[in-house]
Parts: sequence; structure tokens; C-alpha cells
Amino acid sequence: MLKCWLAGIALAASFTASAAEEIQLHVFSGGANQRPDLIRKIFDDYEHKHPGVKIQLETGGATSELQRQYLSTVLSAKDSTLDLLALDIVNPAQFSAAGWLEPLDAYLGAGKEKRLKEYLPAYARSNVIGGKLVALPFVADAMFLYYRKDLLEKYKQPVPKTWDELASVSRKIQEGEKGNLQGLSFQGAAIEGAVCTFLLPYWSQGKELQDANGKLSLDKPAAVRGLKSWLSLVDQGVAKKNTAEVTTGDTVNEFKAGKVLFGINWGFAWDRFQQDKDSAVRDKVGVAVLPALAGGKSASCIGGWQWGVSAFSKHKAESVRLAEYLSTPEVAKYLAVEGSLLPVYPQVYTDPDVVKAVPWFASAGPVVQSARSRPVSPRYSEVSDKIRTVTHAALAGATSPEQAVDDIESGLVRVLR
Amino acid sequence: MKNVGLVSGQNSGVGPAFPAIEMTSGMKILRPWQRLCDLNGATLDYVLLLPAFLLLALIVVYPIGRLFYNSFLDLRLSSSVDAAQFVGLQNYADVFHDGEFWMALRNTVLVVVITVPGALVVGLGLALLANQVRRARALLRLSLLLPWALPLSFTGLIFAWFFHSEYGVVNDVLQRLGGIEPRMWLTQAWSASAAIWLTIIWKTSSFMALILLAGLQMIPRSLYEAAEVDGASAWQQFRHITLPMLTPSILVALIFRTITALQTFDIPYTMTHGGPGQATETLAMLIHKTTIDYLDVGYGSTLAVMMFVLSLLLSMVYIRFVGRGGGQ
Amino acid sequence: MMPRFAPRLLLRLAAASVMLNGLFPVIWIALTSLKTETELTRQPITWWPHLLTWENYHRVATEQPLLTFVTNSLVVAILSTALSLVVASFAAYALARLEIRGRRLILGVIVCSSMFPLVTLLVPLFETMRALGLLNTYTALVLPYTVLNLPVCTLVLVSFFESIPRNLENAAMIDGASRLGALWHVVLPLSAPGVFTAGILAFVNAWDEFLLALSLNAAQSMRTLPVGITLYQGEYTFPWPVISAVLMIAIVPVILLVVAFQDRIVAGLTAGGVKG
Repeated sequence: MLKCWLAGIALAASFTASAAEEIQLHVFSGGANQRPDLIRKIFDDYEHKHPGVKIQLETGGATSELQRQYLSTVLSAKDSTLDLLALDIVNPAQFSAAGWLEPLDAYLGAGKEKRLKEYLPAYARSNVIGGKLVALPFVADAMFLYYRKDLLEKYKQPVPKTWDELASVSRKIQEGEKGNLQGLSFQGAAIEGAVCTFLLPYWSQGKELQDANGKLSLDKPAAVRGLKSWLSLVDQGVAKKNTAEVTTGDTVNEFKAGKVLFGINWGFAWDRFQQDKDSAVRDKVGVAVLPALAGGKSASCIGGWQWGVSAFSKHKAESVRLAEYLSTPEVAKYLAVEGSLLPVYPQVYTDPDVVKAVPWFASAGPVVQSARSRPVSPRYSEVSDKIRTVTHAALAGATSPEQAVDDIESGLVRVLR
Repeated sequence: MKNVGLVSGQNSGVGPAFPAIEMTSGMKILRPWQRLCDLNGATLDYVLLLPAFLLLALIVVYPIGRLFYNSFLDLRLSSSVDAAQFVGLQNYADVFHDGEFWMALRNTVLVVVITVPGALVVGLGLALLANQVRRARALLRLSLLLPWALPLSFTGLIFAWFFHSEYGVVNDVLQRLGGIEPRMWLTQAWSASAAIWLTIIWKTSSFMALILLAGLQMIPRSLYEAAEVDGASAWQQFRHITLPMLTPSILVALIFRTITALQTFDIPYTMTHGGPGQATETLAMLIHKTTIDYLDVGYGSTLAVMMFVLSLLLSMVYIRFVGRGGGQ
Repeated sequence: MMPRFAPRLLLRLAAASVMLNGLFPVIWIALTSLKTETELTRQPITWWPHLLTWENYHRVATEQPLLTFVTNSLVVAILSTALSLVVASFAAYALARLEIRGRRLILGVIVCSSMFPLVTLLVPLFETMRALGLLNTYTALVLPYTVLNLPVCTLVLVSFFESIPRNLENAAMIDGASRLGALWHVVLPLSAPGVFTAGILAFVNAWDEFLLALSLNAAQSMRTLPVGITLYQGEYTFPWPVISAVLMIAIVPVILLVVAFQDRIVAGLTAGGVKG
């Protein structure tokens, strides 16, 4: 009995002794969509290559909102428990302004510029705040136009290049299919996706929301046209009457059930269509760049995740090194092949192994190339809140498009300056 | 007997039921200094209060102190101003010019004014019923408590789903019953507010009922028996026995329901996110947004202090008016 | 007991509507937990599962350590309920019997602590728990939950204790009981309905709490059920069938509690009969 006890102490002692020599890094990442299982495998590999570094992975709430709630509490309290943080693309600007992120320039040195050139341009832009690199891109995402390959073939219709074309193709096929096939499903609920809903038709007229200094440069007639183009799709019966209620998940489920011809959604939807047991559209789905308004240029909205190093971390250098590794083309390729997560490097989309494992990345590449970042601002949450509530209200018919754009302008002019 | 309690009205109303209460005034014979030395007396009272105050001191005194302190600071975490600036009452002055605050205040006051009496009436009905029905009592109690047991944030999500224009059971039932065209309840200002109020009443009337039911069970049966002998009608019995005897419980339930109604967050947050526009945004949602999303801790704290002041005022009104009126 | 002042039929009708009102959402959730996700997009909506499946319960059991979440929630809720009841009944007894001017003020101070939105107290609370070294422990939640429940429990108990005639206590004390003994043997049993009401309120509050649980106990092994449930949703999707299955499991302990307390409430009722 006593022997057993002594052995226990000895074991505990040896354990703490070895723990003292090695560094524990605490990494925070999101829920199932970010594939913590794959991240864990990458960490195992990293630990193997870097003896002396142990990595603990903490998964946060499933949604960006819950993760943000947790992170803002921990970081407001200047807590040193977390070293490396997975951040939603919209967060680095605010977190860095709050002094929560360690600037990475000094750690990366001369390699920084070269690295930044290799990423998809939108990511380099979103993660450089006030001239400082504050986070390294990990996984990309964008809004895609999903379409029913089988139906377009059946009716010999092209993949639409403009919103008008999309409307006429939809009406033709809707007529032919009778039943209640929706032409287009997009998000009008007051969720983050509604920010993209506002921006997509606006951007596709070649307009920008911010000038080079980040100041508001809202082209009001273009914004009104954008909102009206959505409303006209609703009026024509191409999109559902209750579009103001539609969330990202609704689009996925309805498309998956075979009730939608065109769907606008993030990259994760592809796997839901192809892999879910209850999917009615397996192998009937195609992906294309989003349509533009007549005379404009197609644009998508980026999403995705970055690694930021906590300013309160006690192991900054080691954390930066890990972040650098997580942000390499090799890791991007691994995640693409194993988890069909979109890479932040353009060349990975055409990598033969990747194309073999996830053939749809070949058509995803051009979309991600066309993707733009939502406004980059330390006060992005105010920007987002304003745009999404107003867009929702306009789609619900609670305000007119003109009034909605006035509201957005008066709300944003104080914030983006 | 000296009556300083919240529920001061009660003894005058029910005095005859407890002739013994008169006896207790005999305790007043003990002089304060005598009681101080008597561990069974007043000292014990303070000792008994100690754990509560130790806990309060440990857990909430610092956070509340910080909250008040922060309310005097310009503490916008994401404004790249390094240190927090002391701005005196500036935040409080800002509140009065903040249209969003007034809108949120209006929405919150509507929630309080509509859902608190609503839940009280429904809850009282539920409690009277549960107290009276004999058969299937367990099932009735269960159905009375289930709304309370359903996690708050999910209550909002479930009801948002019920009110969904396509997938919702509300439109489905209306269509089956009367062929009524589907409506988008949650995207129009008034119907969204009404749906939220209804959900809150559904959720909170069981809290009310629970407290009132316990109160009902404390009413001695003999009172009703005596009234019966005197030939009092059912309404008279309700008016002159049940209601006055229940006043303390009603007051407790009202105070708490009001405080929590002022903090209404989860249900509108999950049902409408405050929309359309800002039509259903409550004060607590504005505070949440300001603090967590905008990281404007100074102003968020100021709004929280305003909410506290409002709660305090309303509670005092209750204690003063309901507490006094109910017992007479 | 109330006399019957409503006709029997009306009463039954009312009882039935209460049951429908209270049970319907739960029944709806139960039915949803047996449906597939695509079934939810059918028009018109289906009530009875078109394609009955147990798959959701399987996913619930395998995707996340649900048992850990339930255990954590139970431990935290039970401990904080017990602590709330002890602390609140001490305080309430003192307040119900205290004959000093400050009584109302003391009660007011206790109640005031519940007048602040939790979200604004979050960061300092986190700092407090970190300073005490309590992050990711049961205590980190038990203590704040006890404090959060203190106002409602104290207020409920004060109102009940005040209605207990003092001569009953005095009689017990004449028989040699101390005042604490009188509290335990006379006052508490007589106010049983109040004690159990306060207990249920405290339990459900603790069982439901989300914000503190998310931030103070973030380690996977220490997560409570409300936080755990959200892990079943995706970044952009809300799989109702799976969430419904989790909710069904989350409701069970509360149902058991109500059934268990049901007997106690009735027992308290008969004990209360003494006064009548």
C-alpha cells in the first residue's frame, strides 16, 4: 500500500519535472465547422517535430458569436491562459485595436512581405491593421452560387452571369418544374450573412463601401439599386416571399431537399449537399461565381479563420511559430484534402492531389479569387449591426430601400471615418 | 407588533386568523441590551445574516463597484485610445441624447407593462386551478412547470420557430382552422412585439404560478370553512380571504418578475435579434451589444446603472403602493 | 384549500387547456427529435414524423460528452440550490424576526444585487474567480449561482416565515429547543411549500444559466448542459432534430425533480394543516 503510494508520488514528480522543461501552448479554436479533430492531428504532428512543445486545444462555442462572447471576457480580463486564437475574419481589426493581439511583424521579420504576397489578396488585406500584421490566415471561405446542374442541363440553360439572367433562367425552369421550386435562396434574416446580402449586389456594380483610408464611400443610388434588385427577385417569385426570415441554415436545408434551383451560401454547404444522408441533390450540384448587376463585375464576400497571438500570452514566440506553421500551404493542402476546408493560398486550389480529393475546388478557386473583405474596421460590429438590421428590415418591407440606405449612411458615417 | 416588512399589510388583513400574533408582542419586553447578550436573540439574527453578506461581498461587491466606476470612464476597448479616460457624467449625459436608448427603453417598458400583469393574471389562474383540481394533479403540475423548465434561450428559439411563416405551427394551425393566409409574424414591428410578449408570458407565468401556489397552500383551510358557515359566496371568499392572504406572495412574485422583465434579453434576442430595425430591441440587448459587440465598456456600464436605477424605482413603488394597498 | 367556485366542466376544460399550453412545446420537441432534418422543410409542415428515426439520439450520445455535461449541471445545480436554501433561510429567518429599523434596508441590499444585467458583471466576476483560483471548478459556478438565487429565495422565504405564528416557535423554545432548533423543527417544516418553491426556483435558475457557465468553466470536462447544447449546432446551421433530442434529455431531470418535489409539497401541505 505504502509502496504504491510512494510510486505515485515519484510518478507525479517525474511528470512535473518534465512538464517544467516543456512549454504548454493553449490554442483556442471554434466548433465542429473548424474541424477540431483535424487540427488536433496537425498538432500531434507538430508536437512530434518540436519536442518540448505540448499543445492543448480548447474548442469554443459552435458559433462565431459564442466564441466572441467567451474571448472578449477572457481577453478583457487580460488573461494569459490562451496563447493562440482562431479568429473569424471580421474580428482581427477590433481585437487588435483593443490591444488583445500581438503584432506579428517583428517575429516574422523579412519573410513577412513575401508571405503576404502568397495569400489570396483579401486575406492579406483583412489581417493587416494600421500597417501591422496581426493575424495569419488559416482557412478561407466565401459566398458561392450553388446551382442545380441537372436542372440547368434538363432545360438547356446556361449558368447565369448577371442577376437579370438568373431571374429569367429561374422563371423558365420554375415554370417547367411546376411545384414549388424556388429560383433563388439567399439570406435576409438579421444575421451576419445579411451583411453580405447587402454588399454582393452593391459590389457587383463595381462600388466600394470604404475608400483607401477606410472612410465611408457609400454610393447611395448603387446601394438602393442593389436592395431593389433583391426585392425584384422576390416580386418576380424567383425568391420566396419570406426571404426576410431565411437564415444560412434554411438555404442549406431547402437546397438539400431539392427545393431550390440557385442558392447563395458559404463553402460548408457543399459537403452538406454531397455527404448528408438525407440529401436529395447529391452529384447534382454545381458551383459558380456570383452573378453581377448588368455592366458590373462579379464579387463575393469572404469569410474564414485566422490565427492571432494573444497579447497576454506568456509564450508569444512559440505561439507565432505555431501560427506560421498552421498558415503554410502544406497545412492548407492537408485541410483541403482531409476536411475540404478552403485554402488561403490560390495555388492549392489547382494542386493535383487537392483536385483529385475535392474536385469542386477547381470551380471554387475563381470564386474565392473574386471575394472581397467586408469593411475592415475596429468598429466592425457596429458596421455589421447597422447593415444587417437595415437590410433585414428592407427585405421584410418594414422600410423602403431608399430609407434603408439613408439609415445605413447615417449609421456608418460616424463609424467609418 | 412592529411591522416594517415588505409585506407589512398582511397582518392587518389576516390578524384574526392568528390570534397568537398578539402574543408575540410580549417579546418586546426584552430590552435591546439584554438581547445583545443573549445568543439566542438579536446577536443570532446578525450571525444568521452573515453568510449571505459574506457571499455578496465575495462575489458581487467588486463587480458592481467596478460597474459604477466604469460608468464614469470613456472605456472603449476598440478605440485605440490607450488608457481609460475619466469623463465624469459625460456618459450619463450621452444617454439622454441617445435615440437608441430611448427606443430600447420604450420596448423594455412595454415588456414590463404588458408581460408582468399578463403573467400575474395567467399565473394566478394557473395556481388557483392547480390548487383545486384533484385528478391528474401530477400531470397538471408538470405542465405548469415545464415552461419554466425549458431553457430560456431555447424557449425563444422554439417560439421563433412556431411563429415562422413557413415552418411554424402557428400559421399551420391558422390555415387548417380557417384557411388564413400565412403571415410573417416576426418581421413586422407590431406582430413581432406581440409574439415576444406572448412568449414571455408563456414562459414566466409558471414562475408566478409556482410562487402563488405555495402561497395558496399556506392559507389555513379553517378560514374558508368559517366563511362558508357565514354564507360567503365564492367570489367573496376569493376577495376577502384568498387575495389578502396571497398578497405577500403576489408582491414577491411581482417584484421579481419586474426586475427580470426589465432585464429581458434571451427571448427577443433569439426570436428577432431586436428587429425589424430596432423595433424589439430591449435595454438588456442594447447593453449586451454595447458591451460585448461594440466593446464600449464605459457606456455599457452607464446603461447598466440606468437599468439598476429603474429597477430600484419600480421596486420601491411596489413596496410602497402594492405592499400597503393589498392588505387593506 | 380553496372552495370550489367553478363548475366542474369548466374546471376540467381549464385544466386541459393548461396541460395543452404547458405540454405542447415539449411534445413538439419530442416529435421533432424523431424527424430527419429535411423533413422540417416540408410544406405543409408535418406534425407526426413522416420518417421515424432514432438517429438524432444516437448523434446526441456520440457527438459530445453529454453525460459529462449533465453530471456537471446536476452537481452545480444541486450544490448551489442547497447552499442557496441554507444561506437564504438563515437570512430570511433573521429578517423575518429582526425588529430593527434597518430590516427593510438589509432586505433591499440583498434584492439590489439582482438588478444588474449579468453581462456587465462578467469580466470582474471572471477576474474574481481567477484571483481565487477557481476557474474551471464547480465552485466557480456554485458561488455566483448561490448569490444570484439569494434575492429570490430570501424574499420568498421571508414572506413565508412571517406568516408563521411566533407562539409556535416560542412553544418549542419553552420545550428546550434553541432558536436554531425552532427554525429547523418548527418554522421550516411549516413553510415547506415556500422552501420547496424557493428550491425549485434556485435549481432551475442554476440549471439554465448560460453566460457565466460559458466563460468561467470553459474546459470541455467542466462544461454544463446549457453550454453543451450549443455545441451541437454548427457555425451556420441549427439542426433542430438533434437539438430537440438534447433538449428532451435536458428536461428529464427537471421533470423528475418536479415529481419528487410533488410529494414533498403535498407533505408540506399536510404539515401546514396544523395551523388551520
